[in-house]
Amino acid sequence: MSVLIPLLFLLVAVTGTGVALSRVPRRQVMAMAANGMALALLFMALQAPDVAFAEIAVGTAALPLLFLVVLASVRADKAAKAEDGAAAGDPP
Amino acid sequence: MSPRVRVLLFALAVLCLAPAFAHVALHLPRFGAHPLPYGDAINAAGTRERHVTNMVSAVNFDYRGFDTLGEEFMLLGAVTGTATLLRGTRGERKEVPQQVPGRPVRARSDAVVLVARLMGTTTVLFGVYVALHAMTTPGGGFQGGVIVSSGLLLVFLAEGYRGWRRAMRSEILDACEGSGATLYALCGFASMLAGLPFLQNILPLGKVKDLFAGGLMLVENAGVAFAVAGGFAVLFLEFLEETRVEADGDDEEEKEA
Repeated sequence: MSVLIPLLFLLVAVTGTGVALSRVPRRQVMAMAANGMALALLFMALQAPDVAFAEIAVGTAALPLLFLVVLASVRADKAAKAEDGAAAGDPP
Repeated sequence: MSPRVRVLLFALAVLCLAPAFAHVALHLPRFGAHPLPYGDAINAAGTRERHVTNMVSAVNFDYRGFDTLGEEFMLLGAVTGTATLLRGTRGERKEVPQQVPGRPVRARSDAVVLVARLMGTTTVLFGVYVALHAMTTPGGGFQGGVIVSSGLLLVFLAEGYRGWRRAMRSEILDACEGSGATLYALCGFASMLAGLPFLQNILPLGKVKDLFAGGLMLVENAGVAFAVAGGFAVLFLEFLEETRVEADGDDEEEKEA
């Protein structure tokens, strides 16, 4: 147990740094999900299973999905705008 | 701001904040030490007073039940706001939207479909289990509700958007969200009708370690489970719908403008 918790803290720090350092939004979302997973494991090791449940479901499933959907929506919007611009003969 | 100025600013901020940070860090209580008496008091008295073994639920639904009422309506407000914003020009459409023209439909592999189908139902069942066992084991209405809604996402992964949309009726999900929050509030008023303070337990507490121990907490827990599962499902539905529509309403407005 004494080794596990420092290791998990390290994992949280590493995955958190990964979130901050990823520059591509889609990858950043995945990095965030990984960070959520690491946090959930840490909560589990610290004997807070209630919080761990919530963190797993919200941090690794719900939140990344909403971000991915927003990214997809933005991309679809951009594509539609570019198409409109091309159809009207305007430079995009 | 050039990177150099940014680094300089960062260094300056570190210089200013470092002494304060070091002071706090050196005076933190030992890791794992909790000087506050509240948790120990709850652990000592909770099972005797409330007949439940999951003290987190006892705190959430009884000792600090009023706080949970606030959180419940915060969630309701957030979901309502999001749904209002996103539905905007789209309204409450009943028919299943068509594929977005021009976007390729990538076939899912059979393995993904199989795993998602198996895991989807299992996850929903597990969510129900977690919500039901709120009073005895870790978990509760919130956790169970979120797990159920993430199981619904796996159904989306398995069946594709059209199949998923056919299964998700937004009016039912809306009703789940609203009635769950209402049920929680009604529990409080039921206590007041009995002449007791708001949210005071009025039902028999039952046997310790029994699935249905906890009295009024069980009803509140069910309310939270429905509200959270419905609320998250509404969010998913509204967000996913955003990627789908070619926004007829939006286009018309732009043409008029």
